[in-house]
Amino acid sequence: MSADQSTVSQYRPSGSLDPASALSPYVGPWTPKLAAHLLRRAGFGGSSAEIDSAAAAGMHATVIRLLNFGPDLLPQSPDADLTYGPGTPPEQVRAANIAIQLWFLNRCLQTTNPLQERMVYFWSNHFTSAVGAGATPAMLVAQYDLFRRFALGKFGELTHQVSRDPAMLFYLNGAQNNKRHPNENYARELMELFTLGVGNYTEDDVRESARAFTGWTVNRMTGEAVFVPRLHDEGTKTFLGQSGNFNGDDVIDIILRQPATAQFVAHKFLRAFVYDDPEPELVSAVADQFRSSGYDVRVLVNTLLRSNVFYSQRAYRALVKSPLEIAIGTLKIVGAPEVSLAVDGAIGTMGQVTMRPPNVAGWPGGAQWLNQSTLLARLNFVTRLLASNRPARPLSAGMGATPAAGTAPAMNMTAATSWLGDVSMTDPGAVAERVLWITVEDDVTESQRSQVVSYLQTDGVGNLVALNGENIDEKIRGAMSLAMALPSYQLA
Amino acid sequence: MASRRQFIVQSVGAFAGLLAVDSIFSRAARAASGVYTAGSAAGRCLVVVNLQGGNDGLNTIIPYADPNYYRARPSIGVAQSEIVKLDAELGMNPQLADLKELFDAQRLAILQGVHYPNPILSHFRSTEIWQTAAPDKYVTDGWAGRYLDDAQLPANDLFKGVAIGPVLPKMMVADKTDVPAIADLRSFGFRGTRDEQRQADKILNGAADVYPFDSPYLSLVQGVERDAHAASLQLPHLVAGYKPMVDYPKTPFGQGLNLISAIVNAGLGTKVFYISLGSFDTHVNQRQRQDMLLSQFAGGLKAFYADLAAHKTDDRVVTMTFSEFGRRVEENANRGTDHGTAAPMFIVGGGVKGGVYGDHPSLTDLDFGNLKWHTDFRSVYATLLERWLGVASTPVLGGGFPTLSFVS
Repeated sequence: MSADQSTVSQYRPSGSLDPASALSPYVGPWTPKLAAHLLRRAGFGGSSAEIDSAAAAGMHATVIRLLNFGPDLLPQSPDADLTYGPGTPPEQVRAANIAIQLWFLNRCLQTTNPLQERMVYFWSNHFTSAVGAGATPAMLVAQYDLFRRFALGKFGELTHQVSRDPAMLFYLNGAQNNKRHPNENYARELMELFTLGVGNYTEDDVRESARAFTGWTVNRMTGEAVFVPRLHDEGTKTFLGQSGNFNGDDVIDIILRQPATAQFVAHKFLRAFVYDDPEPELVSAVADQFRSSGYDVRVLVNTLLRSNVFYSQRAYRALVKSPLEIAIGTLKIVGAPEVSLAVDGAIGTMGQVTMRPPNVAGWPGGAQWLNQSTLLARLNFVTRLLASNRPARPLSAGMGATPAAGTAPAMNMTAATSWLGDVSMTDPGAVAERVLWITVEDDVTESQRSQVVSYLQTDGVGNLVALNGENIDEKIRGAMSLAMALPSYQLA
Repeated sequence: MASRRQFIVQSVGAFAGLLAVDSIFSRAARAASGVYTAGSAAGRCLVVVNLQGGNDGLNTIIPYADPNYYRARPSIGVAQSEIVKLDAELGMNPQLADLKELFDAQRLAILQGVHYPNPILSHFRSTEIWQTAAPDKYVTDGWAGRYLDDAQLPANDLFKGVAIGPVLPKMMVADKTDVPAIADLRSFGFRGTRDEQRQADKILNGAADVYPFDSPYLSLVQGVERDAHAASLQLPHLVAGYKPMVDYPKTPFGQGLNLISAIVNAGLGTKVFYISLGSFDTHVNQRQRQDMLLSQFAGGLKAFYADLAAHKTDDRVVTMTFSEFGRRVEENANRGTDHGTAAPMFIVGGGVKGGVYGDHPSLTDLDFGNLKWHTDFRSVYATLLERWLGVASTPVLGGGFPTLSFVS
């Protein structure tokens, strides 16, 4: 019934994977294309200068730099009024929601530690939460800060912390879970979606562990998580075959001892970083390593980003970029200094509301990002972005039906010719080559390449024109938007 | 187009020469030559209206004879004198007066007390439940999408389903069928300059040749981009012969219904439409907002059916409303209402047996302050699938649900 399940292991022959060498460090040639691949997966894509620098530094040096975060100079919270509550006017509710979205998107764009922010994005789609049902924008900021601190930390510790995170306590009704009226929502999703996966626990385990988590709630005055002993069920619980007066931490420790947890989380990492139909042998190999490292995410990610399988043809452009990746990656390519309201709105039109996954299972990704509406939205996003600081076509026309319509400041981009580097701007073939490199790393067909050249050489009715000072800016922008409309650009 | 599964399985080269533009012309020609037979499901379609945000059912269809209503709603209750009465106990919000004529003509059914087991009070999850028809699991496709996939419709049809709005609703997400979402005709499509348009056209429809890499998603992206481009280029021409016979309200909802009428009357064979109106999330000062929206809803539907009747197509179009939930029985301190559960649904159209179906839920026997539902919304879907669209409902809904009698 669901499309994501249908794609598993069908489209590539199994058996070609050698699990013994799949995770060994890659020793093949290090090319700029592979450098770009690494930056797409371990961050949000690279500008042309970043790709050049990673290509020159080599694979190991680049991975080391990605893994070792430098000082974080970006705002730890939005510089905005985050007032939010039952009596807050709708305009302020909207303003606070947009403030946190722009805060996170700008961190993704501006960070000097792309893997750290990438991991925040990953965790936010694993331990999902969203504003609403009591969870405030400020709580989401604090939760993202937790994800940032544990970006490459121990998975077990993070799971303990998430279980007493205020946004999570509201989002999955832990705050309403008490001795007299147990609420099973968090206990169920903890096992189904965060750790064990379906089939590795029973309904009794859900009921019993919900009792163990009772007592945690949120102080609505301070917004902090508190444990209220009189709301906690002190009785004996039987969970995954063990009995005792367990609390939530005990339950998590029992969950972490199950081999299924390592399998489940390994699968999720492979889907996010390598390809979305990993072979069972590969999942097991990653899970074994992960478990024996004490669920050390740094070890896991370090292994994946250097592995043969990560640099294999099977992994190359095998994932669909999310709208957030499209937006941030595009802004990096064009050198935009910040994410505007219009871009935040466009991400929504492309099918992903920033910081608001559709449900606790998170964004499913893959084919689910691809339909007529979202693909037209992608094409129109890049086209509008590239056209937005042309003098004759201001952005004031708005981005379609996005909430940001008409209110966005023009995007302060660099002059189009600066994207060309030292390429001669009168040579259409060379300009096309450069444009196709900085957008899709030349992953194009010959006919697509010749279409871009033809666009650069002709006017709107097909007459031959020469590139000159008069038309070069518009022609480069047009060629860039055509390149970003290509199927390759939609793939990570 | 081929299924997502097949797309992923197929090699890149398999798309050589696929010309979406040709298929759309042949499909349009086929639709124009088709003859609609009254009583057969062939020419019928369904319009689904999402009253988004959680419409307060209790101030929509009002049990005005029950004193508990006025007790629970001291400041936002609708006065008896204002209510458009349907019978001795029930009436409509006065802003729905435009629907009274349809009700009197037996073309409007009101289904009371509809919801689903273990109600969820989150907008997002509850909306998803109504759109997937899967209250107990997370699925990636929508119920109408599954219907369109299974309905044995012409393979190359680009407009089997149409969503009005900028984003594809989950209801329309399918495995094999790609449904366009159209905010309006002007903005639908790739909006580049003229030479970008021309070149994009060539790139998207160009001869397939070899990529320097392989990817399981490459052909899917290419196929969907091509369909989207073809659909957006052709739609304005396909509906060019349609002229509205009434003045539609100048609201986005009215204009959206106008576009639906254009597509229905152009004979494109579209089976399911989606349109939304909102937000009905009336936590504060409910009357003002809900009255405005209900008035837009009723005014839009009245114009829509008058237009369809003038084109003699009103017998082909049934409209169904839903909202993710109704609202709390007791009003809150801000002259509003909080998230609730059961609510009424409207079914409108020529094929509808009008009237009120089901009892109004009790205002005193409540579930944590919320109305108790008695009819599962999947029974409503099953009825429309089986009796209106003429297909088996079990494969679409993942189980059997009893059908109701509101389709004649």
